Amino acid sequence: MLDLLNAWFVSPFDYGFMRRAVVGGLALSLAAPPLGVFLVLRGMSLIGDAMAHAILPGVALGFLLAGFSLPIMSIGGVLFGLMVALLAGAVSKMGGQREDAAMASFFIISLAAGVMLISLGGSSVDLTHVLFGSILAINSTALLLIAGISTLIVLTLAVVFRALVVECLDPLFLRGQSRRSGWVHSVFLGLLVLNLTAGFQTLGTLMAVGLMMLPATSARFWSKRLEGLIGIAIVLAMVASTGGLLLSFHLDIPSGPSIILLAGFGYLFSALFGRYHSLAAKLRRKTTPLEVEQGA
Amino acid sequence: MSQRSLSRLQLHNLHLAQARRTVLEHIEGDFKPGAITALIGANGAGKSTLIQAIMGELRPISGEVVCTVAKERRAWLPQQLALDLTFPMSVEELVMTGSWPSHGALTGYCAGHYRKGREIMARLGISHLAHRPLGELSGGQRQRALIGRTLMQEAELLLLDEPFANVDSETVDILIRILRQMADDGATIIVVLHDMDHLRRLADEVLMLNGGHGRWVAPSALTHQHAPAQVVPFTMGGRHAGSA
Repeated sequence: MLDLLNAWFVSPFDYGFMRRAVVGGLALSLAAPPLGVFLVLRGMSLIGDAMAHAILPGVALGFLLAGFSLPIMSIGGVLFGLMVALLAGAVSKMGGQREDAAMASFFIISLAAGVMLISLGGSSVDLTHVLFGSILAINSTALLLIAGISTLIVLTLAVVFRALVVECLDPLFLRGQSRRSGWVHSVFLGLLVLNLTAGFQTLGTLMAVGLMMLPATSARFWSKRLEGLIGIAIVLAMVASTGGLLLSFHLDIPSGPSIILLAGFGYLFSALFGRYHSLAAKLRRKTTPLEVEQGA
Repeated sequence: MSQRSLSRLQLHNLHLAQARRTVLEHIEGDFKPGAITALIGANGAGKSTLIQAIMGELRPISGEVVCTVAKERRAWLPQQLALDLTFPMSVEELVMTGSWPSHGALTGYCAGHYRKGREIMARLGISHLAHRPLGELSGGQRQRALIGRTLMQEAELLLLDEPFANVDSETVDILIRILRQMADDGATIIVVLHDMDHLRRLADEVLMLNGGHGRWVAPSALTHQHAPAQVVPFTMGGRHAGSA
């Protein structure tokens, strides 16, 4: 029994790349879920997805220019992600089309362009790595990059937290309060792009958004307070990223999908048995109508 | 209060359009500190358009809005449904966001802010709800919390879009009292109203929008039993539409 536990949970970490991957995953788990919580609260859950694909051409260009060099690929990803965000914002301002529609258009273009670029310069193995992540890719430079970006995100979030909250709840009020309220939105989108770029190394560009969204959407079933949502989401993300890495190691599957699938199980479980809005909660509500009436 | 007689907000020959369609023309107005103005008109008469223009959200085709109130002292309370009710925020937190003008976006609240927030909640009779999430409030309680935010903001110009829709009568009484107090303290208040009873209790002046034009009328002319014939149908129409 002890041997089994040892074989499953301890011995994988004899390998340096697993240790680095876990630390990277934990760092990401601190930064990504709060962003996801804000995305969910703003009703922008799908925009995270769109942004995730938007960084792909940048990553691919970096790959073409410098090979599998994570810093270069990351810089490319950040630049391209920010560019797409700006373009989508500009299109929606110019033509009055909603930002999510513009985003959706740009992201599918980006995805196609990215896949095309990688296929031009590399093999299908490279494509799989970029799209779905590879724990082997995490060297010390990459780890520093992930940790650095995560730190930056957490600190920035702490500073702009209240402005973000107000913007989520009542953008109109925020616009009334300051002439340059647009910066809150821009800073937020910038953090989003940064986080997705940090995430693509373990999770892949297609999966990076999962660690952001799934813990956040799951947390909605467990808490009604913002602090609670963020705390729960972070814990869920940490469990999912560590567990997913172990699964990936033992079953020899790409790390991105296994992390995200684990988070996905967390989501399904929460949807069924969570405290609020879940199936179980709905059944409970039916049996205690009096309490509901008092709460209203 | 020496500037009391000076108007805070003036509309000069205002021409407003939405999606290239003229909504309002030749709107003149003069809103004084301490005055509560009711904005009435049927649905689609341009009430929300005018409010948008006053808040600087909509650029006039011609004419101008002259407002001497600093932007962060203007408060706009849209119709309730505009607010996301599932947002995980408590009543106290909502009220506290009104302290934005006095301390900016990035610094924290101090004890004085919290004390003021508690006083405001007591005035509105929502102290016991301080830690209740917004989603669990009734329409009236939510409206009180939102008015609490504008009190926190020390709003000098307050625009309210149908503040009494879906609100219980106790809340209406409290809100009318608070709005009157705010006006007495020098605030300029503009309220979109449908209900003649509320209008009679609250309004000092009435700006009536109809057919793309605005007309200033005395409240007594509207609430009087023998109101002019053309007034009754469309205010009634608006009232029905509003309560639907």
